[in-house]
Amino acid sequence: MKREGYLVEGTCGRFVGPLLVAIFCASSVLPSYTAAETAISAPQDVQVFDTPSDGGGSLTVQWTPASWDSSELRYQVLLGDASSTDPSTFTVMAEFPANTKYVKDTETVWWTRDVDKTWHHVVLRTAKDIEIKDGTSYAVSVATVRDDQRIFTPVIVATPSPDWFNWNQLNNLIIAISFGGLIFYTISHAKRNEIFLRRIPGLDAVDEAIGRATELGKPVLYLTGAHDLHDPSTVAAAVILGKVAKRAALYETELMVPHREPITMAVCQEITKQAYLEAGKPDLFKEDANFFITSDQFSYAAAVDGIMLRKKPAANFFMGHYFAESLLLTETGASTGAIQIAGTDADHQLPFFVTTCDYTLIGEELYAASAYLSKEPVQIGTLRGQDIGKAVILTAIAVGTVLATFGAVTGAEWPQIILDFLSDVK
Amino acid sequence: MIFLRRQLPLLITLVAGLLFAAQYYVPHPASEQMLTSATKWLQIIGGFALVLGVTSLFHLHAVKIRRQEAGWGYSLVLYAGMLGTIAVGLWADGKESIEGVMTSFGWVYNYMMVPLQGTMFAILAFFIASAAYRSFRARSREAAVLLVAAVIVMMGRVPLGEYLVPLSGDVASWILNVLNASVRRAILIGVSLGAIALSFKIIFGVERSYLGGGKE
Amino acid sequence: MTFPERMLKIDRRIIFLVIGLCTLLPLLYPVGLPIKISSEVRGVYDHIESLPEQSVFLLSIDFDPASKPELYPQAIALLRHAFRKNLRVITMTLWVSGTGMADQIVTQVAKEMSKEYGTDYAFLGWSPGGQAVIINMGQDLYSAFPSDYGGRPTKELAVLNGVRNLKDVGYMVDLGAGKPGVEEWYVFGKDKYKFELGGGCTGVMAPGLYPLLRSGQINGLIGGLRGAAEYEILIDQKGQAVAGMDAQSATHIAIIVLVIICNVFYLSLRRAARAQGQAG
Repeated sequence: MKREGYLVEGTCGRFVGPLLVAIFCASSVLPSYTAAETAISAPQDVQVFDTPSDGGGSLTVQWTPASWDSSELRYQVLLGDASSTDPSTFTVMAEFPANTKYVKDTETVWWTRDVDKTWHHVVLRTAKDIEIKDGTSYAVSVATVRDDQRIFTPVIVATPSPDWFNWNQLNNLIIAISFGGLIFYTISHAKRNEIFLRRIPGLDAVDEAIGRATELGKPVLYLTGAHDLHDPSTVAAAVILGKVAKRAALYETELMVPHREPITMAVCQEITKQAYLEAGKPDLFKEDANFFITSDQFSYAAAVDGIMLRKKPAANFFMGHYFAESLLLTETGASTGAIQIAGTDADHQLPFFVTTCDYTLIGEELYAASAYLSKEPVQIGTLRGQDIGKAVILTAIAVGTVLATFGAVTGAEWPQIILDFLSDVK
Repeated sequence: MIFLRRQLPLLITLVAGLLFAAQYYVPHPASEQMLTSATKWLQIIGGFALVLGVTSLFHLHAVKIRRQEAGWGYSLVLYAGMLGTIAVGLWADGKESIEGVMTSFGWVYNYMMVPLQGTMFAILAFFIASAAYRSFRARSREAAVLLVAAVIVMMGRVPLGEYLVPLSGDVASWILNVLNASVRRAILIGVSLGAIALSFKIIFGVERSYLGGGKE
Repeated sequence: MTFPERMLKIDRRIIFLVIGLCTLLPLLYPVGLPIKISSEVRGVYDHIESLPEQSVFLLSIDFDPASKPELYPQAIALLRHAFRKNLRVITMTLWVSGTGMADQIVTQVAKEMSKEYGTDYAFLGWSPGGQAVIINMGQDLYSAFPSDYGGRPTKELAVLNGVRNLKDVGYMVDLGAGKPGVEEWYVFGKDKYKFELGGGCTGVMAPGLYPLLRSGQINGLIGGLRGAAEYEILIDQKGQAVAGMDAQSATHIAIIVLVIICNVFYLSLRRAARAQGQAG
């Protein structure tokens, strides 16, 4: 009997112990499933509002991240009629893994961000089946989804509407106005004070080229580029033409200026006439020194090449903006033995000008040259304003580089905050 | 008259310039509608500019032919080409092919324009070779650096170069992605600042050279 | 004149002849060297590969016959890839002189891939205005192109179902030979209407577009004939670009050899002049 009792007790003891151990092991091996089933709920702190700084027709939905966010779970954002209160009848507008779609993935800037970057963020726009109209209220709900189970948040009603100002571009507006103000300030400063401008080395080459043409008794060829007068390079080319024309008038050297644009031709004609007047040689001015050929790229290049081969100018000037015709022009000019000076902001063509011309004014040197020659306060002041703008950009680049390097080397986090600030402000 | 030639254009430039600069910051549909209307007008004016260009060309060469100036024969050729192309283009309703069959306009396009344009562009290959032979000389330290970089990039951008010198591809890629990109960016920043400054000056009437005419 | 001096002043026509032979002979007797794929070209390829079927792919063929040798193979390869992925292909051009050529390219590849006009693809043609067209398309595509190149109303084309403006485009690639080109599509298109943009351009223009690539403004760049050859390798359909790479290889090597020869003579002349100067 005792033995049976022991057996009963022993049996119970024998099974309870291992059973308890088994339960303990199971709970330690499978804690998440057991814990998730109890912990999962509807998304918290859901906010639904009209998307700010847009043209209307969209709603933004945000909510806090949850501890259970993972790729195994999903979120659904549902949209329905404002009068409806049952989210299960709503249309699914977005569905995604629960560990995706955060504020940090969007292109928002810190001054328009109301919530932390770790919050979930979805923008609802018109889709195939449902149109989101301005002024119409809509009901939105967010659901946590696991397999067939959906847990909805309470319905929130919001109304999309268009906005009159894009606050995300505020930095752009401030920088633009600041730079504009800077330009006007430096222009007015230049009108009242003398601003030093260092001599552009290419300008010595201009005088030398015209002198050479005079010695050889050959004409000077001057091109103003492919663009019209809305382009700063063409404006600069026209200003430099004034100087070249004046020098050519003084030396009584023939000047030829073929054009691609009728309006540019008309303006350059006036500039040339003025230059001859200032040189005291108005009788030497020829109306047809400036002539229109064609606006077609390669036809123009072929025509100018013909002029170079027939007339054999001793000095060729290529000022302004050029495209693929640049090498056709400069190589033909080089084959005739002419001295060639180029000035362009067309960075694609710079290599060709550099290899085939005796001197090249690169990018802003063209604008600087025209400012130096004209001595106009407007031109000089603009140049000074641009220089200050570049100095600001250079400083930002230098600071950013140092911070990024410091952050990478030391592993510190605070440089990233400043870098994010600079990134948003750009 | 001065008002029509000077003040009015400046006023239009100021109003339009400020309006469309502000438009960029206003996302409201009314602003977008205004931009759409303006760009439609731009497209219409762009179409008229074509007509203006052709008329100007006709007039210029008509004068040359009438006065029998030097090279007036070429003007006659130009006239024949322009009128012929316009005629066949109108005949074919501007289509290069109709239901797979080439029209006469398509013939002019495919057998005259395409080869002529291709030829002009193809000349560049020969010209760059002769320019390189003449200019890529190690006259100075800078010229030597230019020469070495050019050789590396030329090698690295073709399969034969990469086959002969396997490292050239990676070095060429580094030159393009690091050195070239940073320098281009610098030129781009400078040129862009210049363009922005000019835009401000034109909008506010400080720069008036685009109106034509001499100084006031 | 000494031999080095004569060589330095060599007639340009001899150089032209050398280049001509280096271009012609590899085209007649191809070698077929391996071509390494660059990350820039892979960027465009990978993005198109990632697009689901029936996504809208916009291809703007912005070049004229002058740039055909470099950009035509790019267009062919991109269209073949897009059609193979069963994307809805919409093509157009901003260059009036390239309209006929663009139409030919699209028709040719569509026929080859057995695609139906209006359902699988459409060619909108050309509209004047350059960047104005891009802005218009960003607002309302049907306003910018009320009819396609053949005169059919664009609203009736099934391929444009659900496409109201550029915001509805899945991916856009611009093959540009100048202005308007890739930069204009970014400034007036992607920056405003936020669609993904890739670029293709001539070899000359490619270095100038690297800043846009490095900053993520475009997600890929097919540069010149080399880029087209890489793309043909990626889609496993070799064409004109791969065939042209042998010629390009030979020409590049020829120019390098000429430059080296020129420098050898130049340096020898300089040395001789220095020695003469010292002796004198």
